[in-house]
Amino acid sequence: MVIGQATISFKFIWDNMGLFLDGVKLTIFIAVIAFTLATLGGLAVALMRMSKSRLVRMFVATYINVFRAIPLLVFILFVYYGIAISFELQVSAIQAGILALTLQYSAWLGEIFRGGIQAVSHGQREAALSLGMGRPQAFMRVVLPQAFRIAIPPTGNMFIGMVKDSSLVYLIGVPELLRVSNRLANRTFRYFEVYLATVLIYLVLTTSIYFMVKYLERRYALIDVLTARARRFSVFGGRRAARLRSLQEKVKQPRAVAPLEMDMGDADVADHGESVAGGPDRPG
Amino acid sequence: MKAANPSAGSAPESVVRLRGIHKSFGSNHVLKGVDLRVERGEHVVVFGPSGSGKSTLLRTTNLLEQPDEGSVVFRGKEYGPGFKEEGLPRGRARELRQAVGMVFQQFNLFPHLSVLDNVTLGLRRVKGISREEAELRAAAQLERVGLLEKIGSFPALLSGGQQQRVAIARALVMDPAVMLFDEPTSALDPELVGEVLAAMRALAKTGMTMIVVTHEMGFAREVGDFNVFMDEGVIVEAGGREIFTDAKEPRTRDFIRAVL
Repeated sequence: MVIGQATISFKFIWDNMGLFLDGVKLTIFIAVIAFTLATLGGLAVALMRMSKSRLVRMFVATYINVFRAIPLLVFILFVYYGIAISFELQVSAIQAGILALTLQYSAWLGEIFRGGIQAVSHGQREAALSLGMGRPQAFMRVVLPQAFRIAIPPTGNMFIGMVKDSSLVYLIGVPELLRVSNRLANRTFRYFEVYLATVLIYLVLTTSIYFMVKYLERRYALIDVLTARARRFSVFGGRRAARLRSLQEKVKQPRAVAPLEMDMGDADVADHGESVAGGPDRPG
Repeated sequence: MKAANPSAGSAPESVVRLRGIHKSFGSNHVLKGVDLRVERGEHVVVFGPSGSGKSTLLRTTNLLEQPDEGSVVFRGKEYGPGFKEEGLPRGRARELRQAVGMVFQQFNLFPHLSVLDNVTLGLRRVKGISREEAELRAAAQLERVGLLEKIGSFPALLSGGQQQRVAIARALVMDPAVMLFDEPTSALDPELVGEVLAAMRALAKTGMTMIVVTHEMGFAREVGDFNVFMDEGVIVEAGGREIFTDAKEPRTRDFIRAVL
């Protein structure tokens, strides 16, 4: 195929697949490390943002506002050339890039996590406390698991953003996917083929993450009527159901506790749920 | 108000005492010096107009609200700012809450956990009981409230009445010395109120010590051994079942006439 003066050929893309894969590996490495660190940083930011101390709150509020306000590319250049190189610090370009990404993403993730934590109703914490749990325990066992579920979709978007933003570190010389492509294109002058391949590789990466996030979202969704119907088999089937059934049998045989003698006419109304073990509905 | 003799085993013995409780939210003085003594096996009903401080009183009893003044005395320990001169040992809120069950108006079941896990959480994480043992005890309590077949279900799949019964099982499984009910039927559709009241009535028959804040006057008349009418942050009047037929205070009479 001939367009203008160039002959379009993709064969050499296959020949250079090893180069691309090295770039992809580094892109994934940077994104995963920076995102893991930013998740921890974000959690710290969220907790400090809800601290009792005004000073701590003001400190993190400033951190969030400053780091969200700087263009990421400018920040990456500043961290590497402005600080690491200027002050002759023993920091590689990869480390500087990861640091810059982590600092900025901690600010964003911090706000997402805070939103998730605050979306959990106050009554949840109170219910945990009134069982005799301590505050840290109530937070870890009751509030955080729910906040985590609420935060999955926006956090997933941030991870996709991280993979894309990691391409910016190519400007400080990190040989990740974009830099590898750039070098290959400049050497071969096959800009169309090379950048098309690069676009497709990023697309595959981000789309895979998208499906992973969708999976997590479904897997950890707070169960409501609709999700339960959609997932009837995974929730109510299999080994779990068998275990619960044996538990029910054990309890039914010898009455460990005297049953409350309840005199009620119409229990079990408005019952959308499935009986777990499929046993007959007990009369109230 | 009520005499108690702590040395004699058969005489009424107080489980919880509230002493001179004051509580404000900002400039809103919600509780203005409330004293209440609850004896073992007694069923105390607290009623009164909304904003009278009855829910706050209940929440102070398990220290979800920290009193500004006064104290809660439970099992020989004193909680809250209290009266320092008395020399009772101080307790920690966690200790008290482990032995006091609470049922909320909005159920507050943990939506990310199955019915069974809702009931085992406290046993496993607070009392450190093994999973197997905790599940047996939890299932037994769920059977008591008629929900054994729902152990694998999730809170959002249950009706309000079923959720509240799970909440009762979740509190009972901790083997509390006293159960607190904060308007347990107020959030329910009318046709679901009966099953929750039935569970509470049955629980009352087992001799459980209960403090119930409720608008269900029928339930109060039937179960309430000691009935407390609150208005504007104070106990206006308190007494046995006769309070519903011949209250002494005009405010009590007006309220009872209005709700019955």
